[in-house]
Amino acid sequence: MVRSDIIRGHLDAIILRLISEKDRYGYEISQEISLRTNNRFQIKEATLYAVFQRLEKKDIIEAYYGDVSHGGKRKYYRITPLGKAYLSELVKEWSAVKEIIDLFMEGLE
Amino acid sequence: MKRIKNHIDELFKDIPHNHETEMVKQEIIENLEEKVFYLMEQGKEQEDAIHKAIVEFGDMEDLKKELGVKEPAKKSMAKLNLEFSIWGSGLIIAVFIFMNLYYTPHTIWAIYPIFAILWWPLSMYFVWSRKKWSE
Repeated sequence: MVRSDIIRGHLDAIILRLISEKDRYGYEISQEISLRTNNRFQIKEATLYAVFQRLEKKDIIEAYYGDVSHGGKRKYYRITPLGKAYLSELVKEWSAVKEIIDLFMEGLE
Repeated sequence: MKRIKNHIDELFKDIPHNHETEMVKQEIIENLEEKVFYLMEQGKEQEDAIHKAIVEFGDMEDLKKELGVKEPAKKSMAKLNLEFSIWGSGLIIAVFIFMNLYYTPHTIWAIYPIFAILWWPLSMYFVWSRKKWSE
């Protein structure tokens, strides 16, 4: 299990990536993250909803109610045009960060 | 499923009650129930599934930060000041124009007090826009 405080700063990017593929709801996203990372990283639900709130307030994602599941109506999220622009900024930023960190981490055991 | 709801109610107890937090709460309960159903499909006992869902939920600190802080009260103050100054100065300007036109229609003097009064809404506009920029 990876230390979650290192990933923390990139949660926006992870979640936006998943929403940009298709509209998704909360549990689906947390499940998808565990699945893709092979359980090496699991997002806490409480954190996930905090990110939703923040991104929705900034108009990066928007919510709508979809089909009914076991309990009630699922709340789906879709990415906005602003969100797409934000995501592509995050991608650029990440590749810059990765290069910098690699400068110091590569070649060591 | 009652236990999920009770647990979330407990976590939300010191968060202000309003439409927004209620919606978030419903969403969380809905998704946690879905998780419990999923875990049961995987062969877990209901008791275990509920327990796992609650444990994995994590702590509320981030959510509290998103939901707890309410800022509109301060923001609307600058706007209110601006609106009041516009209406107030508008009325005073109207009075000056009326007096000027009614009593001394051949001498224009109202422009001087109008110019002075315009500083009021202008300064309020400045305060308002500075606030908007700093947000």
